[in-house]
Formats: sequence, structure tokens, C-alpha cells
Amino acid sequence: MDVGTMIKTLQDPMGIPFYPILFQVLMILTFSLHIMFVNFVIGASFLTLYGYIKGSTYWKDLSRSMARATTASASMAILLGVAPLLFVQVIYDVFWYASNMLSAAWVIGFILILMTAYSLTYIFYLKRDSKGNSFAIFGIIAFALFIFAGVIMHALGYQLLQPAKWLDWYVRGDTADTSGVSLHAFQLSRFLHFIVPSFAMTGILLMLYAWYFKDRNDKDKEYLQWVGKMGANMAFVFTAIQAAAGLWWLLSLPSKFRFFLDPFFLISAGLGIVLLVYLYSARKDPVRYAVPGILLAFLTILGMSYARESLRMKYLGRFDYSIFNYKLNLDYGSTFLFLSTFAVGLVIAGYLLAVAYKSGKAAGEYVSTPSMNRWGKVSIALLLIWIAIVAGLGIVISIKNYL
Amino acid sequence: MYPIWEVPNLSAGIILGIIATFHILPSHLSVSAMWFNLYVETKAYRENRPEYLEFIKKYTLLLLVFAYVLGSLSGVGIWYSATVANPRGLSGLIHNYVWGWAAEWVFFIVEVIGIFVYYYTLNKVDIKTHLKIGWIFAIASWITMIIITGILSFMLSPGKWPQTGNFFDGFFNQTYWSQLSVRTTVMFGIGAGYAIAVSARLKNDDVRKLIVKTASRWGIAGLFLGALAVQWYLKTLPENAHGLLGSVVPKGLKTGMVVSFGAMILYFVYAHIKPLAIRIVPAILAIAVLFVGIWSAERVREIIRKPYVISHYMYSNQIIGSDVRSKGVKAEADLINERGILKIAPFVPSGLRDINEGNKLQAGKMIAIIECSSCHVLDENGLRSLPKMMKRLGFKDAEVVEGFLDALAGFPYMPPFHGTAAEKKALAAYLVSFNK
Repeated sequence: MDVGTMIKTLQDPMGIPFYPILFQVLMILTFSLHIMFVNFVIGASFLTLYGYIKGSTYWKDLSRSMARATTASASMAILLGVAPLLFVQVIYDVFWYASNMLSAAWVIGFILILMTAYSLTYIFYLKRDSKGNSFAIFGIIAFALFIFAGVIMHALGYQLLQPAKWLDWYVRGDTADTSGVSLHAFQLSRFLHFIVPSFAMTGILLMLYAWYFKDRNDKDKEYLQWVGKMGANMAFVFTAIQAAAGLWWLLSLPSKFRFFLDPFFLISAGLGIVLLVYLYSARKDPVRYAVPGILLAFLTILGMSYARESLRMKYLGRFDYSIFNYKLNLDYGSTFLFLSTFAVGLVIAGYLLAVAYKSGKAAGEYVSTPSMNRWGKVSIALLLIWIAIVAGLGIVISIKNYL
Repeated sequence: MYPIWEVPNLSAGIILGIIATFHILPSHLSVSAMWFNLYVETKAYRENRPEYLEFIKKYTLLLLVFAYVLGSLSGVGIWYSATVANPRGLSGLIHNYVWGWAAEWVFFIVEVIGIFVYYYTLNKVDIKTHLKIGWIFAIASWITMIIITGILSFMLSPGKWPQTGNFFDGFFNQTYWSQLSVRTTVMFGIGAGYAIAVSARLKNDDVRKLIVKTASRWGIAGLFLGALAVQWYLKTLPENAHGLLGSVVPKGLKTGMVVSFGAMILYFVYAHIKPLAIRIVPAILAIAVLFVGIWSAERVREIIRKPYVISHYMYSNQIIGSDVRSKGVKAEADLINERGILKIAPFVPSGLRDINEGNKLQAGKMIAIIECSSCHVLDENGLRSLPKMMKRLGFKDAEVVEGFLDALAGFPYMPPFHGTAAEKKALAAYLVSFNK
């Protein structure tokens, strides 16, 4: 069976409920948000550990804040990872499932590893003030496990691009290897391109930290300045290293892709250079550069994610696969359900974040302004309206179908 | 057909079962806890009793760490384990219900941001704002139940979907409302069980009394209403599921539900009479008892779906059993029977695609891996072990086994054998080999 036929045989016969471009855009957008928080987890858990071991007052304080940032970021990373995980199964089902099945034991291992890493981080966070440095081991293991979880995801993502090798990975002579215990593909340059930004992004996170608390009188100004400066330096240095890793990866790609001419690549590389220059200047005044800095960094991540998608299309195009040829079974009703839910979700999540932002800025109790109160009421109303509409629809359909 | 993952003595399905079972504990906490919190916090606000907030703080921390650390990870774990246990089944669900899951995901975001903000802003924002955050969380988490129940019930009873292929026809199927009622009512019982456990850690005895008494009332009401809803649910089950409920579902699972229900009612009554007598260990044991009941119920729901993973569409061994004309999907039975599973499945060693005397046993094993291993292990010991079953049945003659394979279609919980005559012979030879 040739690879093209194999892909067609495996593809889900149901088709997809809306045009593939929407799934692709959502996949990349949510992946970009996901990987940003993954970067925060890795960078912050490293700083938690480093600060704890260094032990000076500033470092200890930062270490405590970073421990909290690690756990919160991990929650967000997991949550935001669900969406691209869902969308990749819609438009790249064949590749995602085959790659997962070939390393199935590691797919389950990934979950166990994350659970362990996460629990250890919490133990480290809660017990760290006990005497001695003995709790460092929890932080070290947690950090190592987070990185290892990255290795697994990287392998799954990279195996997916190589359908011509799948059968060889699965079959040994006349028997099938159903153990799923091997990871079959790893590319260091590609892997580094995901990991190195962790330290750059966490640098920007520190700049944001200094910016956010700048007006709080109960915070030590010198400490905040120290955090901001270090963040800006970290962000700049690691963005430079990231550029080098990116170049290495680019050079290791199959030359016939001519990926250096790919428009998505060119745009994202341009954004990367702008970010690098921007961070160079940011070292003078990290606080002022913090907010535009994170926006620019996210835009760069978004560009890179799109470039990576473009690269995936080149890899899989070799086997005549294109998501744009996916069979369509349009379902406007459920598409509308999601899009309207998404809009509702933005309003509500926005309200919650606004409360968090404002209460964090206030040194004492924060009392909602009338407009914030209204926003809260609208959020609750939207949820109730959502239920009313969906339940109403359900009742109509149930009556029509069963009475 | 994708590559298969075999887990020695277990099966990929059991791994999914273990993770999904664990997930029951945090996921039910996450939908139920905030309703109780809201009640207590509103009371604290109206009666000016700030000491009640000690409970809120503790209960929310449990919710935050247990439900949103281990709960969200095990939730993702269900996806991953479903992927490696039954990729085509999951794919079938996703290609129909992607927007349902995506909508549910939006509410997860609201929940997770909500719970962090709720916890960290307690006493840091005015109480009305804090209550609003609680309400948002509680309603959003109930909506996730509204959505996932549609997809879960679809797997058992797809309603008019096989004819129309329409999202909502499958979603609002004949068991949807009754199952939603069961989950919604039992949810209050579960929240109550957890609340009593948390209250055992409270310092203020007055607060503890209030919490335990209130929680036990919620618990009794939730479980009784839940029992009524279960009766309704049983009435809505499709005929085939009813048959399996009477014949195939192990007695132990039914006993598990009944005993758990009875024990929990007694526990709540006792707690109501002697609220200060409940310490942390018995309270946790009570959650374990409750868990046995829920676990039994979820297992039953899985069993009565057989022989399908998606009822009237895909068998548990991932073979598409029926056409879905509205979606242009054809059943695979004819194609497999005509050309052979070893010919059309992409992940088959090339030496086994054509069966001959030399490779017959290996080919038979490959067919067993593809068609049987999702429910039966091929090892000597373990889950529904094929060698053990063959020994018990005592088949020594391949022709008899062929007849047995032909008869599978008559079993209410087994998918029929799919393949050519030569493949049936090879599978029979492999199965008989256990008795030689």
C-alpha cells in the first residue's frame, strides 16, 4: 500500500463540519497561547529552583513568586492545550493518531509525567520554607520532568510528519510491535526552538511583574527594579540564542522545501528580528517596554506557529495531503453554537481577568465600580441566556423527534 | 485501522478505564462544590458571619488543587487514553462533535480563570463582586455538564442522528434529559460528601455544625432525587441496552450502586444527628463509598453500549458497522468480507497480507490483534483472556471455532466477525492453537 492510499484509507469518513481554514486558524491561535504558557512553566520552574538555591533575599522572594507563577501557568497551559489537541484531530487526524499509536505507552506516560511534575511543584511551593535546602530535589525533578514531557510531545509532533516511515516503525519482520514503548523521531534543533523561548518569555514575564507592581507602595522598589532589569537581560539574551537555534533548524530542513522563501517564515523571522532589537532597547527601561514587549513577543510566537504550520503542509504535501481537500459535511448550527459561545466566553473571561487585575493593583480591598458591576451582571446574564437558548433548542428537538 | 496498542494482561481500554475512573472524583467535585460555597458565602454575607469564610477558603483550595490540577490533567488524560485505546472511535466522535467540545472548552477557560480569581480574591474584593465570580463559576461548570452529557449519551443512544447526521439530533437524544437529571441531582450529593470532609478540618465548632448539617441535608436530597432520576433514565434506555442490563452487566456493579446509595443515606442521616462526630478519616471513606457507586454506574453505562463504541455506527473494535448516508459514510463490513481485513488495514506486515499454510497462525494472531484485542487480551492471563476462554470452551477443532465465529453476530454484546473465509480459517487456527 503506498503512503497516499494509506492516508486516504485512514482519514475519517465523516468529513468535517466547517471549512478547514477555520480549524487551522483556531488551532494555530490556541496553540500559540498554549506554547506561551508552556514557556512560562519551564522558565518559571527553572527560576523557582535557581532562586531557591541562590538563597539571597531578592532571589528567595522571586523564587516564591515564580513558584506561584509555575502552578498557575501550568493550569493555563494544560487548559489551553486542549483546544489545539482537539483541532489537530479534526484536520490532521490520520497523522496525529498514527503517531500517537506508534508511541502509545509514552502518550500515557506524558500524562503521568505531568501529574508527577505538577504535584512536585506544589509540594515544593508549599513546603519550601522548611529548614535546609532539602526540598530543592523536588524542584529539580519537577523541572526535569517538564522538559521530558516536552521531549514526548516533540517526538509525537515530529513522527507525525513522516508517514513513509510509520510502517517500518510498527512492523518487525512478520510481527507487529504493539508495545508502543519507543519514541521514533527526535530533532534537536526543532526541539530547542520550543524550549529556548521559555527563558526569553519568562524574562518578559519578569518585566511585566515589575510593571504590574510598580504603583503598589507595599512593594520594595529596588527589588522590582532588579527583577525588571534581570528580566529584560534574560529576554534579550535568550531571544538571540533562539534566533541561532532557528537558523540551525532552518538549515537542517530538506533543501527542496526552499523554506527560507516561505512567506510565513519570512514574516515570522522579520518579527523575531524586530523583537530582538526591541528587547535590546528594553534593557534601559524594562517597565516601560513590558506591555508592548509581551504583545510583540506573542505576535512573534503566532507568526512562528503559522510558519511551522506552513512547514507541516510542505512535509505532508509530499504525500498529496492537504487539509483543504478534506471532505466537507457542513453543519452551520453547531459552528454557530461554538462561535457564539466563544464570543460569550471572551466577555466573561474578560470580566474575571479585569477583577483579578484591579484587585491585584489595589493594596487593600478592591470595591467594584458601577461599570465593573454591570460587566459582572452581564456575564451572569449571558450564561443564563446561553442555557435558555440551548435548553429551548433541546426541548424543541426532543418534542419533534420523540413526541 | 491504525496501529494497535496492546497492554500486557490489561488492555488499552482498561488504561482508559482507570484514568476515566479517577477523573470522576475531581470532575464531580468541580461541578458541585461551588453551589455549596455560594450557599454558605451568601449566608455569611446576609447574617454577617465572617467566620463562615474559613470553610470557603478551605473548600476552594481543595477545589483548586484537586479539581484544577489533577482534575484537568486526568481530563486531558482521558483524551489521550481514548486516543490510544480507540483512535477511530474518538475520531468519529470528534468529527461530529468538535464544536460541542470546543464550546465546552470555552467554559473550562471560564472555570479555571474563575476558580483562581475566586480563591485569590477572597477578602480582597467586596463580597458582592466575590459572589458574582462564584455564580459565574458555578453556572459555567454546570454548562460543561450540559455539553458533555450530550456527547456521552450520544455514544449509547444516537437518537435520530443515524438518519439525519445532524449534530443536535444526536446531542438531544432519547437518554439526554434523563441522564442530565441524574448527573445534576447526584452532583449535590457529591458536593455534600466533599464538604463534610473539608469541615472536619475546621477549627470553629459552630461553623462545622452548620456545614455538616446543611451538607447532610443536601446530600440526602441529592441522592433521593438522583434515585428518582435513575428510574427515569432506565425507562429511556434503548431496547438493546435493557437486554444487556438484564443479562451481561455483572451483579457486583448493581450491588455496588445500591449499597453505596444506602450507605451514603445512612451516613448523611448520622452526620445530621451528630455533626461533630464525623472526623476526617470516616469522611474520606464516605467519599470512597460514594465513588464506588458512581464508578459502578459509569461502568454499567459503558457495558450496555456494547457491541458498539458509538451505538449503531462503530463497533468497539473500530469497524464501521452501519452506513450514515446523510454523511456519505459507508459500512465497512462488505468491503472487509470481500477483500480481507489484512488486505485493507494499512498497518499489517507485508508477509501476512496473503495467507498461506506457513503464515496462517501469525496471520490469525494479526487478525485477533486488530479485531479482538480492544476487549480481549491475547496473554494467558488478564482481561477477558482469549487463551483462557478457548481453554474453557475446550475447542480443539478449527472448524468448530469457525462455526463459533459465525455465531458471534447472534450475541448481543459481540461484534460479528469481519473478514474473508481464509481469514476466518486463520483466526480459528490461531484460537485453537491455545488448546494444543
